[in-house]
Amino acid sequence: MTALTGTGLPVELPRARSGRWYRQPALVAGLMVTGAIVAMAIAAPLLASDNPTAQNLGATLQGPGAHHLLGTDQLGRDTWSRLLYGARVDLRVAFIAVLFPFCIGTFLGSLAGYFGGWVDMVLMRLVDIVVAFPFYVLVIALVFVLGPGERSIYIAIAIIGWVSYARIIRGQILVAKRQEYVLAAQSGGLPTYRIIARHLLPNVISQAIVYALSVDMIQDILAIVTLGYLGLGIPPPTADWGSMIAAGQSFITTRWELSMIPGIAVVITGFGLSLIGDGLADLLRRGES
Amino acid sequence: MSFVIHRLLLLIPVAVGVTIIVFFMIHLIPGDPARTILGIHATAPAIAELHREWGLNRPLAAQYWLFLNRLFHGNLGQSLFYQVPARTLIFGRLPVTLWLIIYSVVLAIVISVPLAMVAASRKDGARDQAVRAIPLVGLGMPQFLTGIVLIYLFALRVHAFPVGGYGSGIGGHLRSMFLPSLTVAIGLAPVIIRSLRVSMIEVLGSDYITTARAKGVRGGRLLARHVLRNAVIPAVTVLGINIGFLIGGTLIVENVFAIPGIGQLMIQSIFARDFPVVQGVTLVFGVIVVVVNLLTDVAYTLLDPRVRFGR
Amino acid sequence: MAHRTPLRAFTGTAAAGVIALLASACSSGNPSTPGSGPGGSPVHGGNLVIARTADSQSMNNTTVFDNESIWVFEQIMQPLYTVTPNGKGVMPWLATGYTISPSKLSYTFTLRKGVRFSTGKPMTSADVKFSLDQARAASKGWGYIDTAIKSVAAPTPSTVVVNLKYPWAPLLADLSLFANGIVPDNYSGQTATQFYNHPVGTGPFKWDYWTKGQALKLVRNPHYWQPGKPYLNSVTWTDVPDDNTRELQLKGGQAQVDEFPAWSTVSTLKSTPGVAMNLFNSTRTDYLTFNELVKPFNDVHVRRAISLAINRKALVQAVLFGNGAPANSLFPPQVPYYQKATPGFQYDLAAAKQQMAASSVPHGFTTTLLVPSGNSDYVTISQILQSELKPLGITLKIQQLDPNTANTNFQTLHYDLTFSYWTMDIPDPDELVTFGVDPTAGSRSFFTAYNNPTVVSDAKKAEQILTPSARQSLYNQIQDLSAGDAFMAFLYYSPYAYATSSSVHGFYVTPLGNYHLENVWLSK
Repeated sequence: MTALTGTGLPVELPRARSGRWYRQPALVAGLMVTGAIVAMAIAAPLLASDNPTAQNLGATLQGPGAHHLLGTDQLGRDTWSRLLYGARVDLRVAFIAVLFPFCIGTFLGSLAGYFGGWVDMVLMRLVDIVVAFPFYVLVIALVFVLGPGERSIYIAIAIIGWVSYARIIRGQILVAKRQEYVLAAQSGGLPTYRIIARHLLPNVISQAIVYALSVDMIQDILAIVTLGYLGLGIPPPTADWGSMIAAGQSFITTRWELSMIPGIAVVITGFGLSLIGDGLADLLRRGES
Repeated sequence: MSFVIHRLLLLIPVAVGVTIIVFFMIHLIPGDPARTILGIHATAPAIAELHREWGLNRPLAAQYWLFLNRLFHGNLGQSLFYQVPARTLIFGRLPVTLWLIIYSVVLAIVISVPLAMVAASRKDGARDQAVRAIPLVGLGMPQFLTGIVLIYLFALRVHAFPVGGYGSGIGGHLRSMFLPSLTVAIGLAPVIIRSLRVSMIEVLGSDYITTARAKGVRGGRLLARHVLRNAVIPAVTVLGINIGFLIGGTLIVENVFAIPGIGQLMIQSIFARDFPVVQGVTLVFGVIVVVVNLLTDVAYTLLDPRVRFGR
Repeated sequence: MAHRTPLRAFTGTAAAGVIALLASACSSGNPSTPGSGPGGSPVHGGNLVIARTADSQSMNNTTVFDNESIWVFEQIMQPLYTVTPNGKGVMPWLATGYTISPSKLSYTFTLRKGVRFSTGKPMTSADVKFSLDQARAASKGWGYIDTAIKSVAAPTPSTVVVNLKYPWAPLLADLSLFANGIVPDNYSGQTATQFYNHPVGTGPFKWDYWTKGQALKLVRNPHYWQPGKPYLNSVTWTDVPDDNTRELQLKGGQAQVDEFPAWSTVSTLKSTPGVAMNLFNSTRTDYLTFNELVKPFNDVHVRRAISLAINRKALVQAVLFGNGAPANSLFPPQVPYYQKATPGFQYDLAAAKQQMAASSVPHGFTTTLLVPSGNSDYVTISQILQSELKPLGITLKIQQLDPNTANTNFQTLHYDLTFSYWTMDIPDPDELVTFGVDPTAGSRSFFTAYNNPTVVSDAKKAEQILTPSARQSLYNQIQDLSAGDAFMAFLYYSPYAYATSSSVHGFYVTPLGNYHLENVWLSK
């Protein structure tokens, strides 16, 4: 999904930050949905009825019931507990996975935008090269190179994900650097790093943050889940939504809920984050006018 | 036109970069194609013999040079697994993937245009809010999950479509490829709906439409004849920009639906460490993405002279 | 088996320790073979579609190890002897009999009369000599099977003489291997590559086309030597990696044979009208292998403890849904000289704890289980093992690697624990034993580095003694000692699952995995 956002969808976000967030129904709803999921993930040990990895080969593939709220899987593990602990894993990995490309992309994007010239030329060609690969082609190949596991997911997503941030920040800086306050700072003899860090970045970073929180975070969750589905994600027996969906697929004709329950969890999480993104975008837009 | 030439020149370093990454990344992957072929009977001499046969015993730089040389002559090398030219394999399967991409785009447009029109016809109305919620849900759907749900509903429960495969003949393709294309389209439609809705609302607010309204053009006719025509250009641009997403989607969808396209060939070849085929497929993907992006940029620039890229 | 996740079917050599399956077995002249569909008299015609899990790799019978290739070219190229339906012996096929010299070093075979290639050209001893010489020379293929052969001669058009370097008990079994299938002399003037693009043989079917990744089709050989056979006009193998898709194609009539339905669906398929769910006895045995180069797996007590802690019945239930049996020996029951009384370890937690206490690591340790990714059965087993080894203080980490890398690490002994399996290629335990327990063979005792000198010398003796009873006692000792040494944990035996349409008759798979499509017919 990188190109979807990576090639600069017209997410025209101005840099002003004002307006009352609680008047934004989308934002409030998004915060509530996402907050609920995060809270459930954090409180997993309290909410879970069982150990998520405890097997019971005598009680496999049970339907939802009083003892197991959402039933059990092929190894007799409690689906509800695995769902909660899976949220912990997937949300944590997605959040960390967003951080690296955010930092790298912001740094390189501001260099490209501020200095222009050959720096810009080289960096933007690098961006073009990364964008020439379909997202999953690169991710899968990189995970093969690095071996499956959490670390590989971070590295693979960082290598690909920085591109979007670099583009967003570069575009914003290109505009912002012609503003008077920047020109004034330059003629005042302030060192370059200071101009970028203190004057430019705070004014242009909001759009990157919105992108990170909504679009990129969703994209990373999808990538993690897809890798889990392909057997290249978080190793078992750790619960993760992707591997839960994959494991349930064998039973799709008899116990369809095994795949659908974690699937719905993914969709709801994406929905919550999208709402936040939409709300923030609206907020910024209204703050400008 | 100097802009187009400029863009084309910029493609040269990108193309070289793509070949370098493709080549070295695939060779960095641990594992050995000889073991794929020899299985459990792989002995050191047999592996060495195959490596000699395939030229894998040479230094990587020399292998890269040979790869470039061949590429220059339109030769993608010989598939290690099947022992036939990689080009034959790839171009034999390319039509399948192109079918999937085009079918998906058509379905995505068929889904998006009416929805966007409904939404834009009364901004912030109930229908608009409902349509705006679609992308929020759609963007969070993993494609493999959409695929599984569609298979479950329309192939397993209601036997309306085959569960997979490519089918034979135009009718067979249309039927077999419907669910896979719908899967990709469901991922793509949210993006188109978003952009189409915004641009339609913009067009609706423009002087041009006010004039048309004053002339008595109303309702569906206004939307179809005047608004859609003007709003569709940005939507097509969005499609072009998303070609990478489309191709990435086919990779997953071809696997879920067992469609013998180049995405499936690619995954199969990564597993088998069939280097020439992986290189070939990635290059074909890269060329499609770069060319479509270029065309999109050019179209966009020609349509809107204010935009100048790279300045 | 059980191909569930989409990537799995592309795994090439798949699991760590995949052995390519076997050669031809036949049930010629035996219309009442077990298998699908009750009788009626055979009718001619029809196209049989077999929906299979993966594509073939190549048609070169002397070098290819993957089953999906072997099962196809066995319909084209046939050997001098073939495996009996029970998988424990051989019967004459393109040869009708042999005489053996008093030195036991020279076998003279009489060729069957009236055998023609699908081109119409009669088969002669020159073709046989050429074919065996090619197979013997296949250094990176199956050549090792024929190492006992010193030379092949063709004194008359209908006799072939095979001279041996030393007396060799498994010779007939070796000759029944598909790699020793007969092709025309000098490939009819073509290069090997040209020839195997559209191979020619004496089998019931001949080459039609192969669209890689989609379908491979063979058509009836009008010159086939068994009167009245084959019944089918053609056979098409289609590549359908997904389990659900294959099942639906079978139910929808797009295919008549579903190769390896998921174990979880077997019981449902059994009661599905219009479908015959066949579970053919197989020689597949699944193992947990220990790398003895890595501590503490050099300690027999540790290996025994782990082997004793595995509840095989639970595995059979959870993985095979009851369609299998716990394993007790290196050998599967369908192999000649299998010993039913072999004391392979079974689940006994108290005994496991005693073995742990007696070991070099009485308080347990942490180790890594290498699992090829994309195989849901292995993922299931590894998680069960993880919880079963916990009471012994063993912390099992699961490392999933893609199949090619996993296989490389396995074969280069860069692992602690991993899974492997074996299926027989020939109806004689020699190949398995050499592969499995000889540390000097290329496989280094199934890539475990296991070395028990008594077992090794027994294995060598059993190759050169021709008396069955003497071989039996040697193989009994090999099975007993290797089980006691717990060099691998023998997990379970599983059948070959094939779901067929009930219109399919005479479809039978031998324990070695091969099928004879000349016996198959379709009722209307």
